[in-house]
Amino acid sequence: MWATNLKILSIVLGTLGLYTLIANGIPQVESEVPQELSFTGDVSAAELVSAGEDLYAGAGGCTACHGLGTRAPNLLSDAAGQGAIGARCGQRVEGESCKEYLHRSMIEPNAYVVEGFQPIMPDIRRALSEVQIWAVIAYLQSLGGEVTVTGDDIAAAQSASDVETADSGAAAATVATTDPLELLREMQCLACHMLGDEGAQVGPPFTGVGSRLDADQLRESILDPNAAASPGYEQFTGMMPTNFGQRLTAQQLEVIVAFLESQQ
Amino acid sequence: MSRRLTAASLGAVALGLLMAQSGLAQEAGVATREYGDFPYIGSRVAVWIAAQVHLMFAAFVLGVPMFAMVAEAIGIFGGDERYDRLAKEFTRLLLIAYSATAIWGAVLLFFLTTLYPRFWAHLSEIFEVSMWIYVGLFFLESFTLYLYYYGWDRWKEGTAKYAHWGLAILLNVWGTAVMFIADSWLSYMMSPPEVIAADPSPGVVQLWSAINNATWMPINIHRFIANIVFGGSVVGAYAAYRFLAAKSDEERAHYDWMGYVGNFIAIGALIILPFAGYYLGREIYEYNQQMGITMMGGFMSWLWIIQAFLIGVLFLAGNYYLWVGMTRIPGAERFLPYTKWMLVVLVLGFIVWATPHTMIANRAELEAMGGSHHPFLGVLGVMSAKNTAVNLMILTTFLSFLMYRRANKQPVVKWAKTGTIIQATLFALSAAIVLFYGIYGYFVTAIVRIGFSVYQVIAVLATIIGVMVLDVLMLRGAESRGAIRWGNMPARSQYALFVLVVTFTWLMGLMGFARSGIRQHWHVWEVMRDTSQWAATPALGPAAQIISACVLIFLVLIAFIFWLGGLVEKPQLVPERPATGVTKG
Repeated sequence: MWATNLKILSIVLGTLGLYTLIANGIPQVESEVPQELSFTGDVSAAELVSAGEDLYAGAGGCTACHGLGTRAPNLLSDAAGQGAIGARCGQRVEGESCKEYLHRSMIEPNAYVVEGFQPIMPDIRRALSEVQIWAVIAYLQSLGGEVTVTGDDIAAAQSASDVETADSGAAAATVATTDPLELLREMQCLACHMLGDEGAQVGPPFTGVGSRLDADQLRESILDPNAAASPGYEQFTGMMPTNFGQRLTAQQLEVIVAFLESQQ
Repeated sequence: MSRRLTAASLGAVALGLLMAQSGLAQEAGVATREYGDFPYIGSRVAVWIAAQVHLMFAAFVLGVPMFAMVAEAIGIFGGDERYDRLAKEFTRLLLIAYSATAIWGAVLLFFLTTLYPRFWAHLSEIFEVSMWIYVGLFFLESFTLYLYYYGWDRWKEGTAKYAHWGLAILLNVWGTAVMFIADSWLSYMMSPPEVIAADPSPGVVQLWSAINNATWMPINIHRFIANIVFGGSVVGAYAAYRFLAAKSDEERAHYDWMGYVGNFIAIGALIILPFAGYYLGREIYEYNQQMGITMMGGFMSWLWIIQAFLIGVLFLAGNYYLWVGMTRIPGAERFLPYTKWMLVVLVLGFIVWATPHTMIANRAELEAMGGSHHPFLGVLGVMSAKNTAVNLMILTTFLSFLMYRRANKQPVVKWAKTGTIIQATLFALSAAIVLFYGIYGYFVTAIVRIGFSVYQVIAVLATIIGVMVLDVLMLRGAESRGAIRWGNMPARSQYALFVLVVTFTWLMGLMGFARSGIRQHWHVWEVMRDTSQWAATPALGPAAQIISACVLIFLVLIAFIFWLGGLVEKPQLVPERPATGVTKG
């Protein structure tokens, strides 16, 4: 029986060893925790690019989509003869510099959805700080282009971050206006919803929304946007931010609801 | 009266003070200490091992009562006493394993409270009511199990036997409810209700919305089926060991049969498990695209290649066991020549399924490949090819079962030939549908291609159901070509059962890592960050070492438990009913 026991033990250990060996033999990718960056005003481009590359390939999680070119444009390789992202970012939107375009693409990803791709990218501020975002931009610019991110951008981001930290207790109302149109613009609603000629066609249009939804439904769709998907827009469920209840005052919410209700 | 009141009041005050003090101490602890530190291996690995080994035992003690219940029912309603004895033997294994499950559960709880006090405070504040219910159900489950096992011989006749079977049903009800509650805690960590994302304080979370989160039910279903698979494979390995250690032909025959039943349960449930996995994956994507992409295309993309390898091993080992088993069935010789072709299909399918495709790559790797995909494997490893491969592997495995099932039977119904032709046509048709959509998938866009997998799955499932129904009807009153020679099985077949149990257990550890790892550096996704030194999710290599350690701990303990079980009581062996020349379909 000892021989049998030994055979069983060998099979068990051999099988375990084989699986462990294979798992150790493949490329090892760890999911890192995004490290907070702290730069001084005289930060060099090389430092920014290096930090950005680490974030892009690691904790930022960018390569999950952008590294393949199937879910999102491949930023590292040539696209339709235009070169890598650093070479083409300046020509994407008229009037916007490369770094402005890249920054807006990250914090309002649905503002520019490249043709042929779905609007699946989240607002990257959910994962990275402003300083980290600027470091990633510097890295992307370095891929075929000139790095124009400077210490000023970093300093501005850091001071904005400090202000935000100081105001974190009162972060609820992020704007003071009660003008509905201004609120819709400030809250980035028009990045996804069309109102007349303004906005983008990602979510249901605001034009005519008053004839489709009553005040209660409008209120619910702002505060709890995933409660009921609009017909035809089910695939975008989960995209709309769920924190408008914290970002708007009650008065602002009611102003928006009344305005949308009037859009017959 | 007054003295008693005073004493009671003093007692209450003392208790109150004690509780207040303990509460204060707890609050003070939570406020000042976010994480504990476990020596040598660190807090993360300590909790990981405790959770994983607890889960392995839990899967076993939840899976086994399900087929104990079914086996006892077959014994009662089919009149075959072997199944009743089998059910009792299953339950005997369960009894000690149940204590081990509870011990590891306690280890996990203490590790969580001492190593992750802030996280545990968050979880217990939301789920406290369900935790109390959990404890209550745990009591009910334990005592139902004791009644079930110890009442076996006392309540074995007449109406009492039905009541005894009722205990088996009750045991499964309690067990499933316990699992559902525990699943709500872990699925909340993955997919907390989105309404709380802006305000992470647990006080705002409604208990039911936390329980009924996006991944709760998919995980419940997936675990329910996986527990059956896992329980079956552990029972199979137990039977294999007993077979190899058997001292008499009678004993060998019993454990050969038991091993077959365990393997049948494991592989049978495994075939439907991918569909539950698909449902879970879809719900993860629906909940959060980013999480879904991290799981399938992010840092975990290589994990699915390992998974494909493991499932390939399961298919090969499962089929090998069946093919070797056919050598002890009179009449099976006519099917044996086909097995080499089936092996070709399985191996080819295995290779295609394990081909890497959508892998995370850095700039240097992209440059080396000349693009985002490998120039040759990029074509072979796409989902069209992989779905085709896995569906053909499922069909082939089902064909193995069918041949095994029909090996010693000669149908006597008049339409037997027509029935067999219809069965063959169904097989050919579904294989053709799978191949057609697999090839056509290369010529359409991704969004259309994804839909094709549904047609492939429907074709395979419809064939399995259709062929099985026809087979049951066709073999009613079938003549026997001779009884199965239970016990007359080469030893190498039993080693395949050990490979199966190790692979199933390892796969369970791997998928546990995947499910938990996609939260990355969040205790509760986008609600509570892991700010400890152990927050980074390790790569597959280090993860594999921990998984292997967990599997080894589990197997050593379960082997010890089974050995203990053998000391307590030897199973009563019941011979198979003598063959009458006619078998039931």
